[in-house]
Amino acid sequence: MAALRSRVSAYGLLLPGAFWLIVFFVVPLYFLGRLSLDTNELTYYKFNWHWQNYSDALSLYDTQFVRSFIYSGLATLICLLLAYPLAYAIAFKAGRWRHALLLAVVAPFFTTYLIRTISWVTILSAESPVVEVLEFLHIVNNGRLLATAPAVVAGLVYNYLPFMVLPIYASLERLDTRLMEAAKDLYANAATTFFKVTLPLSAPGVVAGTLLTFIPATGDYVNAEFLGGPGNQMIGNVIQSLYLKQQEYPAAAALSFVLMAIILVVVLIYIRFAGSEALMGEEGMAR
Amino acid sequence: MTSARRKAVVSVGFALLALAAAILLAACGSGIEEPPAEAATGKGNEVEVEAKPSGDLTISNWPYYIDKQTVPDFEKATGVSVKYIEDVNSNEAFLAKMKPLLANGESGGRSLMVVTDWMARKMHELGYLQEFEPAAIPNFEKNLADNLRAASYDPGRDFAAPWQSGMTGLVVNTEKAPDVHTICDLFDPKYKGKVEMLNELRDTVPLVMKCEGVDVEHATEADWLKAIEKIKGAAESGQIRRFTGNDYTTDMSNGNAVAVIGWSGDAVQLQADNPNIEFRMPEEGCILWSDNMVIPVGAPNPTAAEAWINYVYDPVNQAQIEAFVNYVSPVEGTKEVLLKEEPEIANNKLIFPPPSFTKNCSIQPSPGTPKEEQKINQAFNAVLNG
Repeated sequence: MAALRSRVSAYGLLLPGAFWLIVFFVVPLYFLGRLSLDTNELTYYKFNWHWQNYSDALSLYDTQFVRSFIYSGLATLICLLLAYPLAYAIAFKAGRWRHALLLAVVAPFFTTYLIRTISWVTILSAESPVVEVLEFLHIVNNGRLLATAPAVVAGLVYNYLPFMVLPIYASLERLDTRLMEAAKDLYANAATTFFKVTLPLSAPGVVAGTLLTFIPATGDYVNAEFLGGPGNQMIGNVIQSLYLKQQEYPAAAALSFVLMAIILVVVLIYIRFAGSEALMGEEGMAR
Repeated sequence: MTSARRKAVVSVGFALLALAAAILLAACGSGIEEPPAEAATGKGNEVEVEAKPSGDLTISNWPYYIDKQTVPDFEKATGVSVKYIEDVNSNEAFLAKMKPLLANGESGGRSLMVVTDWMARKMHELGYLQEFEPAAIPNFEKNLADNLRAASYDPGRDFAAPWQSGMTGLVVNTEKAPDVHTICDLFDPKYKGKVEMLNELRDTVPLVMKCEGVDVEHATEADWLKAIEKIKGAAESGQIRRFTGNDYTTDMSNGNAVAVIGWSGDAVQLQADNPNIEFRMPEEGCILWSDNMVIPVGAPNPTAAEAWINYVYDPVNQAQIEAFVNYVSPVEGTKEVLLKEEPEIANNKLIFPPPSFTKNCSIQPSPGTPKEEQKINQAFNAVLNG
């Protein structure tokens, strides 16, 4: 009886989450899937298993797909290279500044995403001090930094950096420092200690951080919209344009599905490669 | 857990599932997968007039398209309570947002919306608009500017009342791009990476067609596609920096762009901040357009909407709006009012353009059939999304 009781209450606890998922994920997904098989009859959409939407999605927008993955991949990599030392410094070297530094990482979130991105338009504009300095150093030519690929990638890095810093910090913060001392006692030098002890133990944070950065960055369209030019538009911009400007709902729905599927495959390969232990943490797997 | 509580959990579960099913079914009825209702014909859809306007009026308009005083003045004059929302940023996006509602005969509480000519035509064809009751809008019948009386899509002005008109042409920085006088000059490699065009199909492409010598009001599908091809070449070579909405104004004022395709009213406002920026009539001529007040199907208070139309078509009230928005007023007599109060506005040829100024301009064209429109739209958006 006790077992049954705990099972019922476990399902009871699942109910709100399940309800949420069904209403706001499964049901919309069903309609999106149905819509993606419609044909566009100009004034309305007709459901008739139009699989061509999918082949069109791949053949018409392959450039933007590839571009999105390159941009978001680059942004994720740069975020990782910036975030790891930062998180490490906050966790082990900051001392009493730890909370202030963490707050500084999160502080930009107090302003909305859109405003922060649009601010970059001003910061990077042709007559701004930033561009003038870069031009003086011959890093930038012709006063042009906006409406280029580096501007879009930089925008992605800026906007998603905290999503990388926080999980890495969380995993470093709870790391048992006695393990590092033990490594030292066993004559490991700093580099060996880092690669054999610290890095593997912080892998869950790295994996979570890369996923939290890579997945939304791939579908992002705000950065490309404001910081990019005609040759820098990402797949999110195409989906937005198909939905809102061209009212090609079926094509947009098919494209959304293709994007989801590709991201899913990429993520599964990544998790397989990184090891699911890394994602769940050692304790998670032990259970 | 007692069995009563277990039962409660189960029944809550069922209730949630039933709710989910209800939402699922409701979503099935969301109009977009059904053919549209019959287009509004004749008097069937005409607004019925009640004696006196009252109650609430919700207006959807574009941002920065009215002064601060007109709404409170109207409320005081009529007793109608106005909710004025600036939620129209693009005709297409607005239609995309409204379509599921309008297809079900609802307007989301809006009694008046402002959309550009071609969108007013499209909404009318889809059966989304109501016709005006002429008796309720005497000022409109009397004061509408002559050149706007016979719109090709609404010859009797039965469902679309112009809010403001304007010109699409060149906006240039006279210091940095002194030699740009034609649309063709925008393709001059001298200005590579400093040129921008609007992301509006019906503004940008007709102007480029004009550069190619096409009579835009009789342009064929091939003419549209050829002009789009030319724009595509310029985008790929890096000649065109970006395709923009209203935000070209930012790029002009901080030096990112030196010559762009832009709107006359923006240029008046930009020039106030930077005297080097001006609207130039392209030698090929400009594109003339109007944004129109329309009453959607399912509008809760069409009588108040008509009272609003009537109110803004009084030249004195119109002058107050005009002094703020700086587009071209569709109301006859506004210039006379402003001559006394603000002569520099009344004498600005971008706000009250003399016929000699606009002689080469064309009424904003739209691609012919819906099928052609779809194809041209796809080609244009393929350029925008590179």
